[in-house]
Amino acid sequence: VDAEPAVNAMTRLFAVGLSHRTAPVELRELVDFSRGGSAMALTSLAERGIGRELVVLSTCNRAEIYAVAGPDGPDIVGRFFADYHQLPLARLSEHLYVRRGPEAAHHLFRVAAGLDSLVVGEPQILGQVKAAYATASDNGYTSAITNRLFHSAFTVGKRVRSETGLAEGAVSVSYAAIALARKIFGALQGLHVVIIGAGGMAKLTGLHLKGQEVRQITITGRTLSSAERLAQALDGHAVPWSEMPGAVARADIVITATGSPEPVLTRSGLIDVLRPRRQRPLFIIDIAVPRDVEPNVGDLEQVFLYNIDDLQGIVKENLGRRSVELERAEAIVQEEVAKFTSWLQARDIIPTVVALREQFEAIRQAELARLEPKLSGLPPEARTRVEEITRLLIEKLLLAPTEQLKSVRDEAMVAAYADAVRQLFKLSEDASAPGRKPANVATLRRE
Amino acid sequence: MHVIPLLFYGCAAGAYLAHFSRRDAAIGRLATGLLAAAILAHTFIIGMQTVQAGHAPLVGTTAAVSAFVWLLGLAYLYIELTTDERAMGVLVTALIAALYVIPAVDPTVSPRPAILQSPLFTIHVLAMLFAYASFALAFVVGVTYVALFTEIKAKHLGFFYARLPSLQVLDVMNGRVVTIGWVLLTIGIAAGGIWAAQLPPSSDPRAQAMGIQDPKIMVALVSWGVYTFALVARRAIGWNGRRAALLSALAFVIILLNFVPVGYFLTKSHNF
Repeated sequence: VDAEPAVNAMTRLFAVGLSHRTAPVELRELVDFSRGGSAMALTSLAERGIGRELVVLSTCNRAEIYAVAGPDGPDIVGRFFADYHQLPLARLSEHLYVRRGPEAAHHLFRVAAGLDSLVVGEPQILGQVKAAYATASDNGYTSAITNRLFHSAFTVGKRVRSETGLAEGAVSVSYAAIALARKIFGALQGLHVVIIGAGGMAKLTGLHLKGQEVRQITITGRTLSSAERLAQALDGHAVPWSEMPGAVARADIVITATGSPEPVLTRSGLIDVLRPRRQRPLFIIDIAVPRDVEPNVGDLEQVFLYNIDDLQGIVKENLGRRSVELERAEAIVQEEVAKFTSWLQARDIIPTVVALREQFEAIRQAELARLEPKLSGLPPEARTRVEEITRLLIEKLLLAPTEQLKSVRDEAMVAAYADAVRQLFKLSEDASAPGRKPANVATLRRE
Repeated sequence: MHVIPLLFYGCAAGAYLAHFSRRDAAIGRLATGLLAAAILAHTFIIGMQTVQAGHAPLVGTTAAVSAFVWLLGLAYLYIELTTDERAMGVLVTALIAALYVIPAVDPTVSPRPAILQSPLFTIHVLAMLFAYASFALAFVVGVTYVALFTEIKAKHLGFFYARLPSLQVLDVMNGRVVTIGWVLLTIGIAAGGIWAAQLPPSSDPRAQAMGIQDPKIMVALVSWGVYTFALVARRAIGWNGRRAALLSALAFVIILLNFVPVGYFLTKSHNF
């Protein structure tokens, strides 16, 4: 029996994080656990004695840590957010949110479904959640609760994708940008698009634009080979990094999605490049975090610069149209949260149930031992029958109470029932204390 | 009698405003219908005046304003019906309704002096008024362009973003109407110049005032210069988009000043 404080699973699970909803891009750029690998962040956090159930989810729009720990867990994680990024806690704290128990599950499920994304319904986030879980799992930082939590999240993501129309149509940052491009250029057919960066976001954006039948797509990246691969996928053509300024000079739309920590398009660099264009409008979409384009590039007269945050305005417009699909997706989330919550609550009663069964089993064994002199005269088959009958009797007696206990939904009721059972059957304090690792959970879990 | 078109123009302006703010298709159709009714009533009045006077009512600033309003209404209606784009109607009809107050207040038709009985005069007046109508449309397109441009640039997509066509469409429209207007303005000024040059010597002080020093003629030439610059700059140095929009808006303010205050109070050559 370990020495963890007696806090039930309902509140031991929590999430701490910040996202595009709570923190501006300037801050999100600074809070990035993926820098240096999230495995490093996991190790570093585990050193603070917060337990062994930790998952770090770090994307360009959010940084979140899911953990199972005692009441001071959220504080420890909050301080870790600050320390790890060498930021004062005061600067972070107003942007950090804490979700506990079912609320943490609700939050993660919405995230996995793309409901909390900047562009609602975008599909990349599910992959990012899976990757975050895989990293934690590979490094041994997941256990019963986090395993169950994240697998439920994957289920939500898949269900929302297959059962609602949310993932069709306006699904990504790039799709939102296309609406804006139409408002600037009218038809997109004659346009030249330049994509800087050859990663996943760049590809997705390119695919959307390819669907709009733009005239030409040019891809450039620091590694020509990956630019060429993307060019092949998009029927575009790749140019080496050195020719990037020339490509931008000819472009109507520029999309930047590199992982570069420094801006790749600067105001001073662009002024010269743009001069031969005269006043032809240039639409720059910066979907990278940290940003790839200096913010003051947007001050240039013919340049329309939008970063990932700016696209939210268009997203909201799209939201209205998809409110029905949204409702369905939220219903799926609620359904899965309910399932997960009852599972989580059942875990709180498990130690009591185990203790009860152990008590009954001990009584049975004691009685059998006491009757041993009388039973020893029986033939072996009869002795086996006695064993079986007594065991079945206990099973049958305990079946209804076990079912009843496991179906309790309310947190306070769980505690009350546990207390009542403990007193009625004189279970030892230690054996039924919630938080104690149950000896034979596997036999109790029916799912 | 002018009250009827004024009422229709006013109601049309109100309906276009309601359509612009609420984006209700039925109100939009009502607005177009009201504008068409206003133009029809206005046409009837111009027809009556023509029959009464025995010539087209083009003499004097009031008649010119009336004809200008009529031409602008027709030109706008044509554009609306061909492009199915009603967003500009709110500004056009507001301008029309405001200007139409002038002929509504003073509906008398000036008699035509003998010196104006020339086909060159008719060409001059019609070309100038058509040019002004084009520039009025360029002004409206330019103002809406700047409004939309500012919204997109400031990243506050909202009112205009939801209602206006794309910047590209507005820019192309602006370029076209400025070009048409410039051609007509050139014809109008040339016709006026030739007409003034071939005038027989007379004691009419207005004919003697025909010259570059007259405010009305001077400002007309200035506006011709501004529009010429706008066209050249668009082609040669890439002044399209926002700069072209601002330029066409500014140039129309000059036209409007020349048309109304200068036309009524300052000119000595054009006060027929």
